[in-house]
Amino acid sequence: MRLSGTNHRITTMAFAPLQAFIALQEGSTAAAPAIPPLAGAALAVGLAALGAGIAERGIGAAAVGAVAEDDAMFGRGLILTVLPETLVILALVVVFLTL
Amino acid sequence: MTVRVDDQSSESGNYEYVTARVRSRRAALFDDDDYRKLVRMEPGGIARFMEESEYETEMNALGARHSGVNLVEYALNRNLAKHFEDLLRWSEGRLYDYIARYLRKFDVWNVKTVIRGLYVDADTSEIEDDLIRAGEFSERLLDRLVNAGSIEEVVDLLSDTIFGDDLAAAYQDYEDTAVLVPLENAVDRAFYEVLLAGLPNQRAADSATGLYVSFLTAEIDFRNLRNALRLARSGADIEPSEYYIEGGRLFDESTIRQLAGNTDQLVQRVRESPYGDDLDEALDTLEEAESLIEFEHALDAALLEYSDRLSNRYPLSVCPVLSYILAKEREVDNIRAIARGREAGLDSDEIEQELVIL
Repeated sequence: MRLSGTNHRITTMAFAPLQAFIALQEGSTAAAPAIPPLAGAALAVGLAALGAGIAERGIGAAAVGAVAEDDAMFGRGLILTVLPETLVILALVVVFLTL
Repeated sequence: MTVRVDDQSSESGNYEYVTARVRSRRAALFDDDDYRKLVRMEPGGIARFMEESEYETEMNALGARHSGVNLVEYALNRNLAKHFEDLLRWSEGRLYDYIARYLRKFDVWNVKTVIRGLYVDADTSEIEDDLIRAGEFSERLLDRLVNAGSIEEVVDLLSDTIFGDDLAAAYQDYEDTAVLVPLENAVDRAFYEVLLAGLPNQRAADSATGLYVSFLTAEIDFRNLRNALRLARSGADIEPSEYYIEGGRLFDESTIRQLAGNTDQLVQRVRESPYGDDLDEALDTLEEAESLIEFEHALDAALLEYSDRLSNRYPLSVCPVLSYILAKEREVDNIRAIARGREAGLDSDEIEQELVIL
């Protein structure tokens, strides 16, 4: 009996900061968000471009290798290399949605 | 010896570039139709066919000095060397290390050629023609090896390479016995020792690298197996453990000594091993066939097929490069077999049996 009573007290103590935090959050919703919508959209485009760049690194290397062996591969290599750019274009849609 | 391996082995390597180039070259190799045409040609026709193919440059460069089947053979070697040298030139980091490990077998070939040439007092130019400049040795080292005056000088020149210690140790034996066997064994052993050294453990490695390690292990196992079979067939009274190479998982030194005398037991042993499934057909032909040649061809074909499967399963790894190296080696062997076979007057069916085609 007595043991469980202490337990209960400990849990209330442990949750006290959490409750304060929730209260703090509820108070701040009225203020501006940490990342404004337009900045969020800009971040999305930037991250998408970074991803496209990483993807193109490998494809570009392979394409250059293929072109070095066979000149006729230039067109196909170019197309495949820029395919990940679609990621950036799709990310641009997010910008127009937020505007 | 290069220092590139140590400097860059921590880097991961440029798989995309090398794989793309290698796949393109793999696709350009001779196919079944080309072989079928070649088998029916006269030796002169084979030379002409090759002048219009991938081997054009080499055929023209060597055409003035050689002719006939020798021309074909030297052109094949030189072309092989060019392509494999390219592989080493393109690759970086860990990929370079993986490729170089396997291509060092051409260093072994070159060292043996030079030593044998010196042993029989061959001309410098004759030795030079037989070299395959595909390994890790630089042009300069090879030139100095060719121009070396004695076997002792060769051993000295190689003291900085992986072969240095073993060769120096074996040189005493050579001086005592005046046969080349100890030296050649030393070269082989040095090669196989380095083959697996420093590679990640099979289970610890990620799948593609793990498979490459198991391929190299298989290479050692097959080498042991071939040696054991040859000993069993020839019935020669040679201590099998002298030819035993460590690192394989099929045999250890004591089992190979027991099994070397008996072909049936050897075959049984392979059937029960992890290779049993892949080599089933090959083993059947071995049990039926009179000669080892067919079994060795079946071994080669099984290996080639396996490497092709790997290269499709792991596109961005060392596997496509490996599959290309094996395929190119087979192509060179096949064309050589055709040219030599036609020269010797074999008919086309007999030659076709000598080929390894998938």
